[in-house]
Amino acid sequence: MLTRGTLAYIGQRLVLIAFTVVAVSSLVFIGIHQLPGNAFISERVRGDRLELVLHEYGLDRPLLEQYQEWATNAFLHGDLGQSFVNRGLDITPLVLRELTVSAEVGGTALLITIGLGMLLGVVAAIKQNTWIDYLLTTTSVIGYSMPSFVLASFLLLFFAVFLASATGGAFYYPLHWSGTYGDPIQLSIPAFALGFPYASIVARLTRASMLEVIRQDYIRTARAKGLRERVVIIRHGLRNALIPVTTILGPLVIGIITGSVVIESIFTIPGLGKEFVGSILRHDYNITIGVFTMYALMVGVANLVVDISYTAIDPRIRY
Amino acid sequence: MRLSAFKLRALSLASMAGVLLVACGSSSGQSQNLASDQTLKFPYFQEFGTLDPGILDAEVDSEIAQNIFNGLTRFDNNLTIQPDIATDVPTASNGGVSADGLTYTFHLRKDVTFSNGDKVTSKDVLYSWNRAAALQGPYASNLGAITGFSAVAKATKALGLKPKKPGATATAAEQQAFVDASKNFQTQVETKLAANDPKFAMSGLTAPDDYTVVAKLDSPAGWFLSAITLESTTGMVVDQKVIQTNARDWWTKPETLIGTGAFKMTAHTAKQSADFAPVANWWGSPKPVLTKIHMDIHDPSSQSTDIAAWEQGQYDLVGYGGNSQLPKADILRIQKDPTEKNYLTLQPKVRTTWVTFNVNSSHAAKGPFTDQSGTASTLTINGDAQGINLAATSGNAHDLRLAFALAVDKDKLANVVCANVTCSPAKGGLITKGLLGYWGDDKDPLGKFDASQAKTLLQKADPNGTLVKGLKYSYNTGAPNDDVATFLQDQWQTNLGVKVDLDPHPDASAFISDRLGGKYVMSRDGWQADYNNPQDWYDNLWGAQAETSTSNSSGYDSKTYDATLAKADALPLDQALPEYQKLQQELSDNVVYIPLYYSVGQFLFKPYLKGAGSNNFFDHYWNEISILQH
Repeated sequence: MLTRGTLAYIGQRLVLIAFTVVAVSSLVFIGIHQLPGNAFISERVRGDRLELVLHEYGLDRPLLEQYQEWATNAFLHGDLGQSFVNRGLDITPLVLRELTVSAEVGGTALLITIGLGMLLGVVAAIKQNTWIDYLLTTTSVIGYSMPSFVLASFLLLFFAVFLASATGGAFYYPLHWSGTYGDPIQLSIPAFALGFPYASIVARLTRASMLEVIRQDYIRTARAKGLRERVVIIRHGLRNALIPVTTILGPLVIGIITGSVVIESIFTIPGLGKEFVGSILRHDYNITIGVFTMYALMVGVANLVVDISYTAIDPRIRY
Repeated sequence: MRLSAFKLRALSLASMAGVLLVACGSSSGQSQNLASDQTLKFPYFQEFGTLDPGILDAEVDSEIAQNIFNGLTRFDNNLTIQPDIATDVPTASNGGVSADGLTYTFHLRKDVTFSNGDKVTSKDVLYSWNRAAALQGPYASNLGAITGFSAVAKATKALGLKPKKPGATATAAEQQAFVDASKNFQTQVETKLAANDPKFAMSGLTAPDDYTVVAKLDSPAGWFLSAITLESTTGMVVDQKVIQTNARDWWTKPETLIGTGAFKMTAHTAKQSADFAPVANWWGSPKPVLTKIHMDIHDPSSQSTDIAAWEQGQYDLVGYGGNSQLPKADILRIQKDPTEKNYLTLQPKVRTTWVTFNVNSSHAAKGPFTDQSGTASTLTINGDAQGINLAATSGNAHDLRLAFALAVDKDKLANVVCANVTCSPAKGGLITKGLLGYWGDDKDPLGKFDASQAKTLLQKADPNGTLVKGLKYSYNTGAPNDDVATFLQDQWQTNLGVKVDLDPHPDASAFISDRLGGKYVMSRDGWQADYNNPQDWYDNLWGAQAETSTSNSSGYDSKTYDATLAKADALPLDQALPEYQKLQQELSDNVVYIPLYYSVGQFLFKPYLKGAGSNNFFDHYWNEISILQH
């Protein structure tokens, strides 16, 4: 239940998030306009013609004036401007749509991170020093040693290429993300590639935490009361083992958000991550600023949600 | 049994009907070979920059827009100019071009309509061309030969696009005027056009009646027809009624993206997908068979994934939309596949890549190559007299350039860098094979490789090695430029003993700007032809005209070059070709460049596609494609 203190805390954090978003976007605005080159120069767009285009976009005005106009539109009207490369393309609806796509992929990856990570960790802990423990521990080590883009490439090769070839095209992972949102099958492989390295970290942490918890007196007491092992593990053991796991969720969420940059490109997912690098390379400044702004917002909100979730898992924590 | 006359006639009629049925059966049999689903699916590797022909600049946009807009004439798949909205291609023999070459008369078809049903008349042509001239987009100069073009360009500048920049002393009104001018450029142009402002009408462009357009030129220009035929750009016809509703962004929405082409846009989600459908009762031919085009809009980083998706059957083709430079590793893999290799098409395209020397001492770069002239002599390369005059040096610079050119093995480059798949060695001149003005196989002496001759020339030009000390090769990074740079560095080191430092530039736009500004001693250069006419190369890249418009990277210019170019540009194309050839000869004689490679496009077509393909310039039009049963 949200207490007055919690609400005040949330309010403070929201103000801090707003301040961070403004600061990040302003710094990016100033910084990116210092880069050499621009989006318009080509063999045919130079000299007077280039001046005309720069003028049309107001890029020949003093930077401070440009910033004032951009900041007014962005923060008062939610208008992030138009793309320089794709004429007529409004950025706010673009990045909002891409944000939801990334959130869909990232959310699924987070479920895999937590669900699979905890499952592997708990099983490894209760089967400590058995072949199951060794197998799962080894899998976890491989998982967090392997960057998500390497895993993604392997998965893509196996499920999309080799499986299709081996089954004569009967079964394969379809490499065709059509429409805005993916279906469960389309989501599965990229989300797994994105979430599995972090799931491995969660598994290692859960295992260590569970091993510590299941040796506690209250677990012994629970068992002595005759509770079923499943109840002992899940209700008494896991909830307490989750506390240290929860503390790393913040960095994990940020890792998943930044990891989506590569995964979305590999799987051609029309999300924010795919936009990120491309806009920088194309000098599409307004999009870069918009994407950065959204990332700042996402990271801020994700951290807030994680912090709030502490109170649900550990009643001792109060704001 | 005897048959009555009536029965006999009936039998004859039945037989004739049978024959007719059989005859019809063959055509209906063809339609039965068509797949029931005529949806063409392919990935497209870049969101539209613009589909507005007045300002369109990129091939990736042009490949889409060519299916939406038409000009008076069009290039067919053999790159020959054919009538499109016009009934004939104007020539001197059909009276379409006056004897002095100054007046072109176009007669328009009377059945042409926009996709919204509006009829196309000569007024639409005048509006479209005047609008393109006023917008001063990247291809506005294609209309530059028409009398009055320069006046319209001046009027555009005077429109308030370049007001005094607001400074500390500017009034609030001046500041606001500056900001407004920034935002409303296209709207202002549209207002002027709607008001029939004579300053925004080329005086040489007139319409004697609803279906005749007359273009008077300032001076004869044999390239004029080629330039206005360039698909998707300034010669295309657009609908004023639609553009007036949203002067700047009219093309972004399916309901206002109106053209005369066989297809219209039906849906577009930016950076995600776009759908197109045939225009009902389209006036042109062949009539579209495809019922839908679906493009997933990705980016170049997705090419390998999209090729895998094509292999899965998710796409019908890969490479359309100006994106035929596919990852080399994927193409080599497909070449090894006994089935898939049959679906791979390698198509020579229209880009040549070369190394440019800065030969102009007034350029910022200076350097050891800045001496472009000399007296002609004959040089023997690889022991064979070429029979081609190579200018002997009046100083050391010419020999030095020639040494660097002959030290590069172009065949090896195409093998090492392109695996002989993504490019071919440029040994036949600057203009790529298949285009008008191509010099001929192995014609270019600079395309030869002769390490010993190169070494001799270097010894003569720079015996102490002082001139080449600290030499840099500048290029913009990315594939294949990085590999090419490393290869060149190795060739010059191995064959000349000269260590050339690499000068990579991660920012392509800054690199282009500096290269064209003459800031590099030796740099990567190249040209992708716009249309099939040598004028497109020689006007834009060398000589006084290019130097004035700061597009002459090398700074090469001579009185002979300018005079020959002026003569060639004024002549009809067939007569101009020998003159353009002289320009090629002069550039080669003076070793202004080191030819490297011609680009080759890679396309993957499923075998059930009929009519899909590409020529040197552009993809086959969508209305030529159908999907067979599979």
